[in-house]
Amino acid sequence: MGVEGIGARVPRKEDKRFITGKGRYTDDMNLPRMGRVAFVRSPHAHAKVSSIDASAALEMPGVDAVLTGDQLVADGVGNLICGWMIHSKDGSPMNMGAWSALATDTVRFVGQAVAMVVADTYEQARDAAEAVMVDWEGLPAVTTTAAALKPGAPQIHPEAAGNMIYDWEIGDEAAVDAAMASAAHITKIDIANNRLVPNPMEPRAAVVDYDGAEEHFTLWTTSQNPHMARLVLSAFYNIAPEHKLRVIAPDVGGGFGSKIYVYPEEVACLWAAKKVGRPLKWVSDRTEAFLTDAHGRDHTTTAELAFDANNRITGFRVNTTANFGAYMSLFSSAVPTYLYATLLSGQYAMPAIYANVKAVYTNTTPVDAYRGAGRPEATYVVERIMEVAARELGLDPAELRRKNFVTEFPHQTPVIMCYDAGDYDASVRAAQEAIDYAGFPARKAEAAARGKLRGIGYSCYIEACGIAPSKAVGSLGAGVGLWESAEVRVNPVGTIEVLTGSHSHGQGHETTFAQLVSERLGVGVDTVQIVHGDTDKVQFGMGTYGSRSGAVGMSAISKALDKVESKAKKIAAHLMEAAETDIVVDGGAFKVAGTDKQLTMTEVALAAYTAHNLPDGMEPGLKEGAFYDPSNFTFPAGCYICEVEIDPDTGKTEVIAFVAADDFGRIINPMIVEGQVHGGLAQGIGQALLEGCVYDEESGQLTTASFQDYCMPRADDLPSFQVTTTETICPGNPLGMKGCGEAGAIGSPPALINALTDALGTEDLTMPATPEKVWRLAQAARRPMAAE
Amino acid sequence: MDMKGEYRIPAPRETVWEALNDPEILKVCIPGCESLEKTSDNELAAEVTAKVGPVKAKFKGSVTFENINAPEGYTIAGEGKGGVAGFAKGGADVHLAEDGEETVLTYEAHAQVGGKLAQLGSRLIDSTARKMADEFFGKFSEIVGGGASDESATAEGANSIAGATAAVENAMEDVVRDAEERLEVEAGKGTFGGPMVWGLLGLGVIILIILFANM
Repeated sequence: MGVEGIGARVPRKEDKRFITGKGRYTDDMNLPRMGRVAFVRSPHAHAKVSSIDASAALEMPGVDAVLTGDQLVADGVGNLICGWMIHSKDGSPMNMGAWSALATDTVRFVGQAVAMVVADTYEQARDAAEAVMVDWEGLPAVTTTAAALKPGAPQIHPEAAGNMIYDWEIGDEAAVDAAMASAAHITKIDIANNRLVPNPMEPRAAVVDYDGAEEHFTLWTTSQNPHMARLVLSAFYNIAPEHKLRVIAPDVGGGFGSKIYVYPEEVACLWAAKKVGRPLKWVSDRTEAFLTDAHGRDHTTTAELAFDANNRITGFRVNTTANFGAYMSLFSSAVPTYLYATLLSGQYAMPAIYANVKAVYTNTTPVDAYRGAGRPEATYVVERIMEVAARELGLDPAELRRKNFVTEFPHQTPVIMCYDAGDYDASVRAAQEAIDYAGFPARKAEAAARGKLRGIGYSCYIEACGIAPSKAVGSLGAGVGLWESAEVRVNPVGTIEVLTGSHSHGQGHETTFAQLVSERLGVGVDTVQIVHGDTDKVQFGMGTYGSRSGAVGMSAISKALDKVESKAKKIAAHLMEAAETDIVVDGGAFKVAGTDKQLTMTEVALAAYTAHNLPDGMEPGLKEGAFYDPSNFTFPAGCYICEVEIDPDTGKTEVIAFVAADDFGRIINPMIVEGQVHGGLAQGIGQALLEGCVYDEESGQLTTASFQDYCMPRADDLPSFQVTTTETICPGNPLGMKGCGEAGAIGSPPALINALTDALGTEDLTMPATPEKVWRLAQAARRPMAAE
Repeated sequence: MDMKGEYRIPAPRETVWEALNDPEILKVCIPGCESLEKTSDNELAAEVTAKVGPVKAKFKGSVTFENINAPEGYTIAGEGKGGVAGFAKGGADVHLAEDGEETVLTYEAHAQVGGKLAQLGSRLIDSTARKMADEFFGKFSEIVGGGASDESATAEGANSIAGATAAVENAMEDVVRDAEERLEVEAGKGTFGGPMVWGLLGLGVIILIILFANM
């Protein structure tokens, strides 16, 4: 409805303040007497802490205090938690090692904090942190899961024998064994999903104010979910009860998952602000971000896919080892299990699936959800093996996929998920048309004439968003429900405030959420204010991750709007002496159908608040709240096709074209959706071609701890994306939405690698496909030709 | 990281061996070396200040000698700590071979670096370490081959580290003074500052290792 309702390309309301430098971020908060915090961090991947000598640091100018883990523990601050219980296949609970916000006797990864310095200025705090003398006693370290699982490997946590956190399984092993035994063809691959650093533009930060009179804390922090942060900080860390702790996540400059979690720094700053009796600020520098923001991915997987004589899939076996780093971050346990293995059916009808996932400690930065969180890893496994299988079977990769697509819905997979709606072939057709698939052989020949190698690759991804039905995730071990809340306040003069538990850190909620209100009540988006990110303003909510803010957050707003609309209609009907059923909302007015009688939203709102003439028994006011608990996950899906050209002399890969045909269900603002897809594709292409953590295996040092050595995608690494959508309406929520925030990062890496391996004629390519790796394979591919 | 190197020093092996056992000579040859002392017959302690861009750090290093086979070679193990800037630890096998009136020194070093050094400078360490090693041996060759007199080279008691140190002490005094002057000139030209970057921090230590290796 209207030019600002659902489906309209409304320019983002929030961009004006962002692009004019008026955004207010955590680091913009400054308080009187505020001290600055610097952390003393371990240069060792694994070491005993024999002693900490702060005497020199304490004598330096401006230094107020040096606080250590022993003090923190003595004050009763609790260990960091992991919020999702996973049981091993033998029924035993996961083996979680203790994690204190400041390490006491042992450090387990480079960058782990052992002490914090409070000083008047940032520079003083940093200088003093360098003067804190820590006596380290180095221990052997392991950085890979293979090394950590070897007999005799260094033991990282006493709680996890052999460094095994859990050995989990899902699916029917016997059925898969039977399928393998009777298969006409089995395709097997060994692949690795490279470890990534999230790198949001704004690093993490915390500002804490403790009010001694009220015994009340205020925490400004870079969080995707301030209510969850408050819940965890109150319930587990013994710092303050919920009603004495206000968490504010103001403008946040990107998160990609890394700002879901409660980190040691926030816990330590809260505790320290009370202890030293002054407000505190900590802002991560970029190297700290590389070392301490939760990393993403880092799986190694062996997968086998069985086909019958008609090239239909009969069974899928997957063995994955996930590197968790040195500690279990807040949602880490769920990522390689319920967010990963439940998507291993892909877009395909698979009669039997069995997956075994081992989660392993190493002396590396903790790993948790990063844009896609398990689904990129699943998609990489499924879409690589489908492409390899098509090559082995001599089939067109699209044909093999088509033959196995799920075409009837709802479709129950062998791994929990029940797909509700989709048209996978429609996405393939849209993508093939956009990239001119039929013209590829001619383009390949033309490239070959120029001495270049061209390749084309598919990825037909499916993912699960809108996390998630609370009852379902509760039964799977989640520590919280995953509903969302909303409150819609119509003010006396008719302007509207929407309070949402979702949090916007780049997604454009202030625009899309206002568009929903515009659609429903016919008002302009400029009369709607979206309020989020402050636990004192907004009712409890679950926050933004897993592409859930549309399907879950907006559904809650929609439910609240239902109630507002219903009450407003009652008031309008009463005032116009009409039947409630005859009232229609049109263009911001309440009209009596078939007449010229109408009342504006302002008139109805004013009537609600003056309460001079309301229906008998009706409460004054026009404000309604709602909680929405989804009935199912949503299942965005699509087809990505990538075309690359390799220069065999240099190994340089050029992404010639990248087509994304996505089915996100109903779309509120196509421009914002396209922006989300573009960003996701950039991150996925970054993973496939450029990004990757490198640890020195012997010393456990992260050698890619700056932008000097960790390669982020830049504009000239990327083509002009061709983004298109197909639409099947999601039946699981009132708006028919599926979610678009992560799809680009989930679907794109296999398309890239499939295109590169097509061009190179070998499957032996790992991510990131750097020019050196590509060059070596291109040289190897040349040799037989040279011999001819 | 692993490093190998070979240097031809224009002095007889005995002379080289003795010079490598002289803390005063080593001190002059190690950029930024503030102190260097023997803590026992087979241990040395050193402090080296390295300033790289915005970071200045004092590395406290200790080196232990094993498999001493005078005058042919050593195995050494060392460790240096630079506080928050990082640390380095490692070892090296050093061998001295006679070649007429000259000596060919070869070493194979293996080192680990940690902290900011590893995070920000790991890519630069190999090349910087090599550069610093070259500089060290360049100076060393000048001092031992150019200035040193033949008599110090033939001093008796050279098989003992302590003896060697005492024997070359006087002879080296002038040489050391010259070397210091040259070092100042070099420093003025920026040889020890500027673009050598983070690697220097570890290099100080690695060099210590290499140097000591030669002791």
